[in-house]
Amino acid sequence: MKWLKIILFLLPLLLAFSDLEAQQRFPKPEFHTKYTQPTPTTPEPRGVGMEFVDVLVLLVVLSLTSWFAIKKRSRNGILLLTVFSAIYFGFYRNGCICSVGSVQNVALAFADPKYVISLYALLFFLLPLIFSLFFGRVFCGAACPLGAIQDLLIYKPITIPAWLRKTLGFIPYLYLGLAVLYAATGTEFIICRYDPFIGIYRMNGPHLMIYLGIAFLLMGLFIARPYCRFFCPFGAILNVFSRFSRRHLSVFPTKCIQCKLCTTACPFEAIDFPDEEKTKPDTKSNTRRFILYMALIPVLMLAGSWIGSKSHVFLSKAHPDVYLAELLISHPELKTDSKNIDIQTFLASGKSLETLVAEAQVIRDKFYTGSWILGAFLGLVIGLMAMNQIIFRRREDYQANKGNCYSCGRCLDYCPVE
Amino acid sequence: MQDTQDNIKLFGNLITVSGIFCLAVALLLLINYWHIRQTKPLETEALKSLVQQFQADPESEALKKDIRSLDLLARKAFFTSQWQIKAGALLLLFGAIAFATCLRIYHTMKARILEPLIDGVDSKVTRMLSQRWILITGGLLLGSALVVSFLTTDYLKIYEETGTVVQAPAEPAVKVAVVDKDEKTGRQKTEDGGQEDGKTVVGDAGALVIPAKAGTSPLSSAGVLVTPAKAGAPSLNTDFRNNHPSFRGPWGQGISYHTGIPVDWDGPTEKNIKWKVALTKKGNNSPVIWSDKLFIAGADNESEVVYCFNRLDGKLLWEQDAKDIPGSPAVPPKVTADTGLSAPSVTTDGQQVYAIFATGDILALDMEGKRIWAKSLGVPDNHYGHSSSLICWKDKVIIQFDTNKGGRLLALNSLTGEISWDTPRKAKISWSSPIMAEIDGKLQIITTSSPTVAGYDFDSGAQLWAIDCLSGEVGPSAAFADGLVYAANEYARLAAIKPGPTPVIVWESDEYLPEAASLAVSNGLLFIATSYGMFACYDSKTGKKQWEKEYGQGFYGSPMIAEGKVYVMDRSGAMHIFKVDRTLTSLGDPILGEKSVVTPAFADGAIYLKGEKSLFGIETIRQQKK
Repeated sequence: MKWLKIILFLLPLLLAFSDLEAQQRFPKPEFHTKYTQPTPTTPEPRGVGMEFVDVLVLLVVLSLTSWFAIKKRSRNGILLLTVFSAIYFGFYRNGCICSVGSVQNVALAFADPKYVISLYALLFFLLPLIFSLFFGRVFCGAACPLGAIQDLLIYKPITIPAWLRKTLGFIPYLYLGLAVLYAATGTEFIICRYDPFIGIYRMNGPHLMIYLGIAFLLMGLFIARPYCRFFCPFGAILNVFSRFSRRHLSVFPTKCIQCKLCTTACPFEAIDFPDEEKTKPDTKSNTRRFILYMALIPVLMLAGSWIGSKSHVFLSKAHPDVYLAELLISHPELKTDSKNIDIQTFLASGKSLETLVAEAQVIRDKFYTGSWILGAFLGLVIGLMAMNQIIFRRREDYQANKGNCYSCGRCLDYCPVE
Repeated sequence: MQDTQDNIKLFGNLITVSGIFCLAVALLLLINYWHIRQTKPLETEALKSLVQQFQADPESEALKKDIRSLDLLARKAFFTSQWQIKAGALLLLFGAIAFATCLRIYHTMKARILEPLIDGVDSKVTRMLSQRWILITGGLLLGSALVVSFLTTDYLKIYEETGTVVQAPAEPAVKVAVVDKDEKTGRQKTEDGGQEDGKTVVGDAGALVIPAKAGTSPLSSAGVLVTPAKAGAPSLNTDFRNNHPSFRGPWGQGISYHTGIPVDWDGPTEKNIKWKVALTKKGNNSPVIWSDKLFIAGADNESEVVYCFNRLDGKLLWEQDAKDIPGSPAVPPKVTADTGLSAPSVTTDGQQVYAIFATGDILALDMEGKRIWAKSLGVPDNHYGHSSSLICWKDKVIIQFDTNKGGRLLALNSLTGEISWDTPRKAKISWSSPIMAEIDGKLQIITTSSPTVAGYDFDSGAQLWAIDCLSGEVGPSAAFADGLVYAANEYARLAAIKPGPTPVIVWESDEYLPEAASLAVSNGLLFIATSYGMFACYDSKTGKKQWEKEYGQGFYGSPMIAEGKVYVMDRSGAMHIFKVDRTLTSLGDPILGEKSVVTPAFADGAIYLKGEKSLFGIETIRQQKK
């Protein structure tokens, strides 16, 4: 164990001094024009060999987290891995590539036949999902650098009312839908652009990113892991996958003694309480409600898809080509604005407005289909989330909620059962 | 137990201290950032002021010293700030790590003495509340999306339905001028006047504005719709025939309609040289003439200039720089010396003159040299330098923009510079110029490139026909006569093409092929000038060679037909004049006295030539003048 710890800490140091970094892709700054080099939003490219070292590290961290959470029942082991992930995937790898963002690569690969997803990105997407199917959200527990930095800074977590928590739980699905739509249409990788913690890991970045990061960390002192719980789009997928996990972390090793200490330990309110008589619903009215929701879900999906299709115009305005085309149509006088770099670049390209509009229209057509699907998806999520509130599952012990539990192991520390 | 309490207290205090430390560092970082943003040490007004003073007095050593000192100070301030940011970020990081570590220890110790929660919160009420709020939130989201969708303007749809762009309502077309069609020039003539219903007017931005008519369009109430002008019917009009509006004359066909052209001059002795002016900038472009004005262009690494001379006395009337063009490269592209930065000839329609340079900068000037519009098409990727000349007609300026990155044929609106159409071409890079011809009642633009010779509709830019028959680096432009298009290139072939939906090569030859000089056709005869000094005449209908003559110098300038004669100048500056005839009849070989690679321009009784150093105005001067 001691050696394992030493190796875990030495590995990032060794890699940091490795000269296997790929060549810098961006040209040196030039001084004879007024062009300002933009701040790179991604770290320098990595050699192919090193990419697979990252995958290997992820695999090892996921395996060890699963082992610590399920077999070893060691919060300290998971904590150690959390620190390691923050250092390796965060500070050393600058948070890129991360599994959270890889959702967008996968979405783009599905939508654009010209885009070939790298095996590296694909494995970063698939490995956490596979592990969550078997062992729960072990990726969130210790491997995710975004979760790690928040987890390490939890100070005095407050209790959020269940209804509010469940309502806010809709946001990750909305964010996921929008991220997939924007990635699939080639608009932008919004998860990466608005990633609050990358700026902190890189100690550099746009101000919005840094401020967002600081805001989330300050919030995280009192609301444990706010990004993971109420924003993370990858978490939304893992939540679903984890519900089917066969060997999820168990709060107690043998039998729950109903001491309730785990409820105090978990800052994420991810412990399900045993049922009491007074919480059991009236079966008749519940059945009626269930049938009502079953009927309501298709209606919500249809309404969502219709509203989604109506919304494609404003959603598509985020695409740079659509934005530019509309700007040139709505404000043709801006053509003479030498400070508008977008318009000047377009004019310098020699492309005609007709061509630009035609290209923008193709993109908008894609948005029509995408927004239609997004609306239906959101309608489905609203319906299922509401319906989930009337589904009664019998519980006799305090158990980790498979969907919401991050497998951080705090409850293991508290459980007095040997 | 007491020890544990003490430790909890200790780590609680450590958390407070490290937390305050982090906040203090974060605050200092923010102050530093705000300060740098406010002061901008690298862009101080004091430094700018000193630089301005220095520009006025470049010899002042004191100013130089002050600038250096201030610059050093500014840089020190900037880099100190950068250092502070980096140090601050590291301190913040270490502070955060200390904070996180203390937190962890604090919680670990405190956990042992925590009391468990008494009651759960998962009740029927919570479930009901959750359902309600989920449905309310979802409903609000979908409702908001619906409202926003109805409030959003679909500009793409407006554009597609009306073909218009919308001008900002705050800036209506204030200054308007009535546009009438000038029957002579075939383009719109403007004069100041008020806006009248139903008439096309020109806004001060140069865009054509159609006045609002109620019910004509969803935007008509604003009265700010802008539509492109429509081109009229093709026919080479008198004004174009009476001038030399582009490279190789009207429509670039290699034919001049002037008479009384001199056949005898001598540059060294100034025989019949009416005037001669030294060129200040290099430019392998050919002169262009409208009325008494003669236009050429020149460029070097410093600037790109259009010159206007009085063709009667050679006096420079004006010159205008192509500067401050958005998108123009800071450094000109690398070009070879024999092409240069200003190889394309300018073109004029009698109201404006248009010029393009190897930088991809294109500009329109009025006849007094005032800039009307200018834009950058982007630097053409061309290893020798862009050399395709412009041609204009009615409301369009045509640009053949074949580069290593692909071929395009563009038409710019001559009034605004906006792209009227932009047709991608299946063409490799070329150096030839477009010509225009009326084929089957339709005005076409004919281009040559590798491998395609093609015809495009003047109004829409649509490719009407194309045939692959050339190869290599195509420089010679096409010629057109009697329903046949002629195209040739060195190491490829000379082909006479019957254009149409299925173009056919009527005849072809590969005996003499030009490298740079374009073809000229007149009176059933086709003339070819090669870069190795061979000048040949073919029957334009059958391809049968009529005669040939070899010179020691090759030809880069193109042959021009005028008054039943063919003029072609070799690279030494010797003009070879022949009768357009099936038998070789030389009419003279006057010399310029300096090398030349350009094509002559004509006016009644005069020929204008450009050598590598000078511009010449040549007229037959009567004896008494001597």
